[in-house]
Amino acid sequence: MTSIDLALAGVSLGAIAALSGIGLLVTYRTNGVLNLAQGGIATLVAYVFREMVVEWNLPIWLAAVISLAVVSPGIGLLLERLVFRPLARRRASAAESLVASLGVLVLSLGITAGIWGLGSRSDAPSIFPNSSVRLFGDTRIGVDALAELVMVIVFAGVIGVIAARTAFGRQIRAVVDDRQLAELSGVPADKVAAAGWAAGTTMAGLTGILLAPRFQLTPYGLTLLVLETFAVVVAARLSSMPVAVLTALGIAILQSELKQFTLHGDAGQILTVLQSNLFIVALLVLLLAVPKLRELGSGDSGATASFSSRGAPPSGRVSGVRLRRDYLGKLGGGALLLAPLTFAPSDLRSAFMVPALALIFLSMVIVTGYSGQLSLGAAGFAGLGALLSLKLANGDLFGLPALPGIASMFVGALFVAPIGLITGYPAIRRRGLTLALTTFAVGAVVSRFVFEQPTFATGLYLDPLTLFGWELSEKAFYVFELICLGIGLLVVRNLHHGRLGRALLALRDHSEGAAAVGVDVRNLKLLAFTVSSVVAGLGGALLVHSSYSFSADDFAPLQSLLWFTAVVVFGADSAAGAIVAAAFMVTIDVLAPAGSSTLAIGILALALGWMPGGLASAVRGGLRLLAQYLADSFVDPNQRAPRPVPVRISAVGHLPATTGITGITGIPGIGSTLGAARAGHYARWPLSGNRYVLPPGAPRLTPFGASLVTMIEQYAAAQTAVARQRQATDSDGAPRPAVPQPTGPAPTGAGAGAHPAEGGRA
Amino acid sequence: MSRHVLQAVGLVRRYGGLTAVDHVDLVAPPGMITGLIGPNGAGKSTLFSLLTGVEQPDEGKVVLGSTDITSMRPDIRSRRGLVQTFQVPSLFPTLTVADNLLVGAENRRRDYAGGLLGLSAQGRSRISHSAERVLERLGLAPKGPVTQIVEEVLDSLGLSDVRDTIAGTLPTGALRLVEFARALCARPDILLLDEPASGLDSEETAKLSQLLRRTAADGVGIVIVDHDVDLVFSVVDQVYAMVGGRVVASGDPETVRNDPTVRSVYLAQAPLAAAGHSGEAR
Repeated sequence: MTSIDLALAGVSLGAIAALSGIGLLVTYRTNGVLNLAQGGIATLVAYVFREMVVEWNLPIWLAAVISLAVVSPGIGLLLERLVFRPLARRRASAAESLVASLGVLVLSLGITAGIWGLGSRSDAPSIFPNSSVRLFGDTRIGVDALAELVMVIVFAGVIGVIAARTAFGRQIRAVVDDRQLAELSGVPADKVAAAGWAAGTTMAGLTGILLAPRFQLTPYGLTLLVLETFAVVVAARLSSMPVAVLTALGIAILQSELKQFTLHGDAGQILTVLQSNLFIVALLVLLLAVPKLRELGSGDSGATASFSSRGAPPSGRVSGVRLRRDYLGKLGGGALLLAPLTFAPSDLRSAFMVPALALIFLSMVIVTGYSGQLSLGAAGFAGLGALLSLKLANGDLFGLPALPGIASMFVGALFVAPIGLITGYPAIRRRGLTLALTTFAVGAVVSRFVFEQPTFATGLYLDPLTLFGWELSEKAFYVFELICLGIGLLVVRNLHHGRLGRALLALRDHSEGAAAVGVDVRNLKLLAFTVSSVVAGLGGALLVHSSYSFSADDFAPLQSLLWFTAVVVFGADSAAGAIVAAAFMVTIDVLAPAGSSTLAIGILALALGWMPGGLASAVRGGLRLLAQYLADSFVDPNQRAPRPVPVRISAVGHLPATTGITGITGIPGIGSTLGAARAGHYARWPLSGNRYVLPPGAPRLTPFGASLVTMIEQYAAAQTAVARQRQATDSDGAPRPAVPQPTGPAPTGAGAGAHPAEGGRA
Repeated sequence: MSRHVLQAVGLVRRYGGLTAVDHVDLVAPPGMITGLIGPNGAGKSTLFSLLTGVEQPDEGKVVLGSTDITSMRPDIRSRRGLVQTFQVPSLFPTLTVADNLLVGAENRRRDYAGGLLGLSAQGRSRISHSAERVLERLGLAPKGPVTQIVEEVLDSLGLSDVRDTIAGTLPTGALRLVEFARALCARPDILLLDEPASGLDSEETAKLSQLLRRTAADGVGIVIVDHDVDLVFSVVDQVYAMVGGRVVASGDPETVRNDPTVRSVYLAQAPLAAAGHSGEAR
């Protein structure tokens, strides 16, 4: 094949990637949400389309119309109405929207896998006939490529015209700038947002239907393919549609052109991988090269405070009751974790996954929950840990001598540290969406270039673990896993306590503020990423031993997304939540058909909308309410201490919500009228005209409080004067005078409090 | 311990064709309050971020004491004694007030790895740490220098009552005070305050200016950028007035107040800026 033929062969894929990119941009520019669920929706629609054509024998055109004109936009409208509109209404942070879209991805994957299973299908129908048109000479172009190219041009053109030339385009920009403000100016914000979602998901559906016949149709495979097209929108810096289209075509054509070269040796192998994975490499390279995405709004999707809002354990003295309760909780949890030791061997083997998975989840608690960085690459670290420890055990790594199984796990996990450190570097300057995509790309590249390569991932054998020459029984292995989990928990505990814990939380809560008082933001981020990668690596090594084999699928990039969602659902800042999440997923997968845990996590993720801190925080809140209720039922209502109302920490700008403040700040003069509202300052009833004297040593009134007191005194004085006058006139029999008005303008400011008698003249 | 002088030498910062800061020289000595005023767009905020290290100058340098800190990150500058507060209070909303201050007080050391291995802040073994905890419970423990600073600052600013309050639940006025306290805990040579009076009522502002005077009397240098010209002129020892990226007048408040350029700028702006610059418009 000549270069031109190869280029034309690449056009089709490029056009599909461009369509996907257009869909992503439309949703992003209308809603400010980078729809990570694009891949999941594409896959779902592709399966529906195939079902209609292959199983129901509908004509292709009808199936296409139903899929693209009814199903796809319907999904978009549903998502907008049920998931993203509530988030936009309460001005959820970009991070929350990101997690919600992850939830949708996981949910759509779960639905697809639940209905059609995880197996692959190669009979996906194509909407275009498999013929070609002669361009010139012997050069021919496929009808599909031509049609797709036309679609790209038409869609890009139409959307470009709408955005630039019409009133609707202006409305879109207004809604994205400030939805509430736009609504106040009469812009139908919900309609604009819904239109954006419908258009975006229709593009997603189109992408899925077009991609499916070119590859095998599998839930995970197709989803990942669509996720790879994120390279296109990153190149467009989330804004420029022409750049997105050109990049899509460029990458696809380049990838196609690579096919004419063959190299030998290691370079040849890399080339082979590149020939089918240029998009994912481009995604990583672009993310590292593009200085800053044009994120909408404040670009605050780095602020994870919205779903990890727990502060440090109090540095002061902890009450004995609380300590005892903590120990009780820990004992109970420990007992539950030991329970599998009494299980039948097959169930025990299923339970092997729990501590391994829990360790991986803990690694995400470290990075996301405690230090506030979005990281979607955990599967990469876990897989590397697994691979390196196996290689070490086999004596196959850099000529190092074969290590005994247990030592190889720890050493292998430590070897992941440098890779975690390198991944941490982009995090120094990047945050939010960019960081999330970068870590995802790292995981995907590692998966494609290492886990799926025969050089690295074949010929591995798993020896039974031994300790001092004794082979570990299954029970002993489980205990060993628990010990590893214990080490992980200890690390997490140390990261959450003392100076280090405070510094990390400071970094999570407000990184500029932390830097301003000298917290070493850079090294702390690197530390968090490094420690997290080691913990994930250890978890991966255990995971391999608990499933008795190394499979690239176990550490596929999509696993990271699923795991991340699970961690957030169960409380990103809760170590206990991580363990519960692991137990939950393993239990569901054992009891129900494969993919059910994905479905369950997806459903729970959508519930995050009204449960911002995840399940852990909901449980914590519930316990607190219960304790409060119990306490209240034993205490005289008049003796109750003022109760601080829980305040939702706003992620935007870290302005605390001022709604829940009780009058117990205790700072004299600070906090508007609070100073005046303290005990002893309440106006007495019945009101008397006498000057109310502040007790000595009492906090001074704020200006507003002072003027308030003055006004009350005026009123009281006026009332007494009226009463007195009435008495006088009644006895005189003279006509009643009008109600006296306070003379002069109502005095304001602090000075007014000094002359309270003035207003009382009548 | 002698405190350092902050100097800006020939600072230039351009955004495309606009020169936001144009060859600005500034000296902020310790123990003195330096004010920075100017109408909107005069380059105050840009100069401020050049001093804090949030932005890098195109030309010129920032010197603290005898060290050129131009290329240092904000956190390094902070550990060297140049500490800033923000226009929007930047507390750590999930930590208690005391913990917020502790983060500031603990900034001079960076050996976080010790904490990872479970060692206490002072690098002592866990056993002696536990022993200390027992002593603490009996009320016998000597307080570490870090905790001591925090307690002192809490006391002197009257924040002891809220030491265990979660910072995110405090009202704005208190937030400003806690942020100021946190900056003090970092033992600054020079404090950079970005609009510390915004969001405060007049009484709180009065308290603030007392606090600033007290802090300066302790030997800390303060640089203050604020729209409240009344506050600035009432509290500062020297003023720099900026217009269009340049310093048009500097010196003691009286000189700058009577400077013809300053007068013309503020008088010309009077109707527009009546609210913000009432002191000048009068």
